[in-house]
Amino acid sequence: MATLSASASAQAGTPGHPHSAQLTETLLVALLLAVAGYCALFVAPTEATMGLIQRIFYFHVPSWWSAFVAFAIVLVSNLAYLRSRNPKWDWLGVSAAEVGVAFVTVGLVTGPIWAHPVWGIWWTWDARLTSAFVLWVLYVSYLLLRNLIEEPERRAVISAVFGIFAAVDIPLVYFSIWFFRTQHPQPVIGDGGSLDPTMGKVLLLCWAAMLGILVLLVRQRYRVEALRWDVDRLRLDAARNGNESGAR
Amino acid sequence: MKNLDSVLAAYLAVWAIFFVYQFTVSRRLARLQDEVERLKGALKR
Amino acid sequence: MAFARPTAILLGKELQTEFRTRELLTTTVVFVLMVLVLFSFTFDPTSVESRRFAPGLLWLTLLFAGSLMLHPSFTREQTNDTLAALRLAPIDPTAILAAKILANGCFLLVAEALLLPIFAALYNLHVGRVLGRFCVVLILGTLALATIGTVFSAISSQARMRELLLPLLLLPVLTPALIASTEATAGLFDDTPYLSPQWVGLLVAFDAIFLTVTWLFGEYLLEE
Repeated sequence: MATLSASASAQAGTPGHPHSAQLTETLLVALLLAVAGYCALFVAPTEATMGLIQRIFYFHVPSWWSAFVAFAIVLVSNLAYLRSRNPKWDWLGVSAAEVGVAFVTVGLVTGPIWAHPVWGIWWTWDARLTSAFVLWVLYVSYLLLRNLIEEPERRAVISAVFGIFAAVDIPLVYFSIWFFRTQHPQPVIGDGGSLDPTMGKVLLLCWAAMLGILVLLVRQRYRVEALRWDVDRLRLDAARNGNESGAR
Repeated sequence: MKNLDSVLAAYLAVWAIFFVYQFTVSRRLARLQDEVERLKGALKR
Repeated sequence: MAFARPTAILLGKELQTEFRTRELLTTTVVFVLMVLVLFSFTFDPTSVESRRFAPGLLWLTLLFAGSLMLHPSFTREQTNDTLAALRLAPIDPTAILAAKILANGCFLLVAEALLLPIFAALYNLHVGRVLGRFCVVLILGTLALATIGTVFSAISSQARMRELLLPLLLLPVLTPALIASTEATAGLFDDTPYLSPQWVGLLVAFDAIFLTVTWLFGEYLLEE
């Protein structure tokens, strides 16, 4: 009983845990995002061929990088969970997976928005976009699988194993689709061409902002898992107390 | 400026996806916090 | 813990169980036949087009048939909780998985052997001159399907909605193997048949990698 109230206040942000710290972080990330957005729109030089539309690139590309960071966290969490069986790794895994899916969604949505004015098509089975689509389905399946297993420990173990298979599959997916495309070429939605140094700096700034969002979102989601755990424990205690007091 | 609407649509989409996700997560968080309070109160009795 | 011998014994058990009734095999073969015939209605199978689509059709069909056929691999064990009995035996738990992978691989290969002549006839493919190389591709591709399929069957058998879950999990993960098998097969049915070393290499890598991952992590799926 003592442990769970400690964990509840430590993880949930209930009185006892500085809400002010969370607020500062959120404001910091919001600021970073605002600066990044401003730079992407006004500071970065206009690209020669594509013009204004190319500015989508500053959020389109970092969203892929951030997604990979998120999925790397998922892999590490899965391996760590299988080794230590500490449920906190499971919480981290699902949080990073959900946020990763959000980032891939951003990429899959901004891609076509970029492509349409430039090439006149919404979608092309270009290597990166196709691979990203498979990536999206892969981790959505991971999340769906978790929803379909009730018992928390089984769910953690099984999804960890699936997560490892999925992560190992990623390079194979990218390579096979890339190689397929070299044999059967199609229009490419991409950046193409060399990068002006200012553009490079703005790109990194936008990536930093996205990583900030990543950290924030993962932490929020992690707290949800931690609270779920507390709720389950409390329910168990309540049921036990109910039985003891002879309330049958 | 041509394509301005597409650029803005993209930025809006990015913001919207993160905002919606963050919103659903904080709603779950709030609901779970209420549940924790409720259960703790029930146990005290 | 013992590995090779228990695997062999369990493999024998799996094969015996299936060949007693042959229900999995017959259902799979009929299903694939039906799909192949239905697909022929979407385009004229006698034209040159069919040779372009046939390899993709073959592997896609095998993939779907496999995801139906691999499903009972673990759910069959659940009715009388025979998996618990197997776990109690003093053997390496991975042997259980290995036996099932090999058994499922065998069933798939038998199904493919029965289907191949019909497939070749329906789509006017000259299998004879590339038979040896085609078998290589078939075996590698089938091994991929059997490995991932068996492992994911173990996974989905412990979840709800398992009939839908298995194909859902299987398809994205098998994408590289599907592409590689289809492309390798397409090369063999080209006007000048060739066996693509890159695609075969990818299949070999896929099988090696996932057999290793299964060996490392598979036993966690069989826990109590």
